[in-house]
Amino acid sequence: MRIYFERSGGFMGLRLAGTVDTDGLPAEDADSLVEMVESADFFNLPAQLLPDTEGGDRFQYKLMVEDEARRHSIETDGSSVPASLWPLLRRLTILTRAGHGGFDTN
Amino acid sequence: MSNHYHSIFCILPPHMLQEIIEHGTPMQRRMALKNLTIGAQVRGRRHDLTQFAKLQEEAAGGLNRTVFDAQHGSALPGRKVRGEGDPPVGDPAVEEAYDGAGITYQMYKEVYGRDSIDGRGMPLNSTVHYQKGYDNAFWNGEQMVYGDGDEDLPISERLFNRFSASLDIMAHELTHGVIQAEAGLVYRDEPGALNESMADVFGSLVKQRSLGQDARTADWIIGAGLLTSNVNGVGLRSMKAPGTAYDDPVLGKDPQPSHMADYKSLPYDNGGVHINSGIPNHAFYVAAYELGGRSWEKMGKIWYVALCDKLNRTSQFQAAADITLAVAGDLYGRGSLEQGAVAKGWQEVGIVAQDSGGGDGGSGGTPSELPGCLPMVKAIMRLRG
Ligand SMILES: [Zn+2]
Repeated sequence: MRIYFERSGGFMGLRLAGTVDTDGLPAEDADSLVEMVESADFFNLPAQLLPDTEGGDRFQYKLMVEDEARRHSIETDGSSVPASLWPLLRRLTILTRAGHGGFDTN
Repeated sequence: MSNHYHSIFCILPPHMLQEIIEHGTPMQRRMALKNLTIGAQVRGRRHDLTQFAKLQEEAAGGLNRTVFDAQHGSALPGRKVRGEGDPPVGDPAVEEAYDGAGITYQMYKEVYGRDSIDGRGMPLNSTVHYQKGYDNAFWNGEQMVYGDGDEDLPISERLFNRFSASLDIMAHELTHGVIQAEAGLVYRDEPGALNESMADVFGSLVKQRSLGQDARTADWIIGAGLLTSNVNGVGLRSMKAPGTAYDDPVLGKDPQPSHMADYKSLPYDNGGVHINSGIPNHAFYVAAYELGGRSWEKMGKIWYVALCDKLNRTSQFQAAADITLAVAGDLYGRGSLEQGAVAKGWQEVGIVAQDSGGGDGGSGGTPSELPGCLPMVKAIMRLRG
């Protein structure tokens, strides 16, 4: 499974982006990532989870997940994200920050 | 800016004014209230005066804080843990959110005469411990929300402390509410960067006032102490020197520009609202530094009046420059030190401010506080669609 992840905005406005391939992860980490995608019911989420209110400093997320059979993308600012998706967003944030991508360094 | 309407008093029927008072923006409400009382005085009708007294009472409001605990979940607002007047509960994040909202409320009240976010005593709600590893703070349109940084990582990998640890960040979030209630600057491109800058300006002023710092002793850092010792940086942004707050192997280099020549139209962050805010941030800093003294008093007042009475949803940097220059002229006189400082501030970031508000004899008052027909009629047309 391949996941493209991007988080931008937030108080600092930085972009954190990267691609995680489960083939390149230790088996345990790969399994837990696939499990998070499943428990979020990711492939059935609406492509756009749009804000329900005005606001400032929210993060914006973009995710694309693909395996042999499926491919799906979503975009959200976090305001109407199902609770089941948050663990995946956090895990991807940590992974992209630690070697599978990174903050834009200009 | 067209201020030509301000010299004409406008007496509208009370039911129309009532409609504006109930549904208009804070600025429209103020004007409508003023119209209502003048109208009542002119007509001498007891009914109108009684109604006015009632509306004024409703508008009394006051400080009313509540802090909620999301208990590391994502549901808002979460469990109520401290209400107005309640004693501390022994959780630093709760105490910070409570005190931060109070200190911010006091500046708006005591310096600018504003009663809370909406000018009518809106309750100040904050949620702490939002999610796990949430390295952010935000305004969700109704309340302030604070994460704990990256508390879920080993200490050696953490980049951020909890976001309520910084008074200017809390004041920044609350100010997003004020902006939403006033100019309503759209959160994208230049208007969005102005929105961000206004939040930083008043965030910093709240902190400077609480520390008793003047323009020359303040550090003008936003979020000082927010980065852990693992990061090479002094804070999240610098108004004094945008682009220099951090330079780190993991976070990268602070990307903020301080000059129009370096404006970045970005494919993320709503066009770079947190990046390009460095430009108006620096203009404010230069203006405040040039004038000296306590920045929340005169320079803050100029920016505040511009935000509440002059800027609108789609204002760009040039409009902000022109408007703050005109407001400085209105408040402190054309050719005053204050107006000169504002011009210098914008000039330093590559924007030539044009004062279009002159020629009214320099009465020294704030023209926009005088009731006029045009804004009232516009408000009614908008409310009635
Ligand atoms: Zn903001």
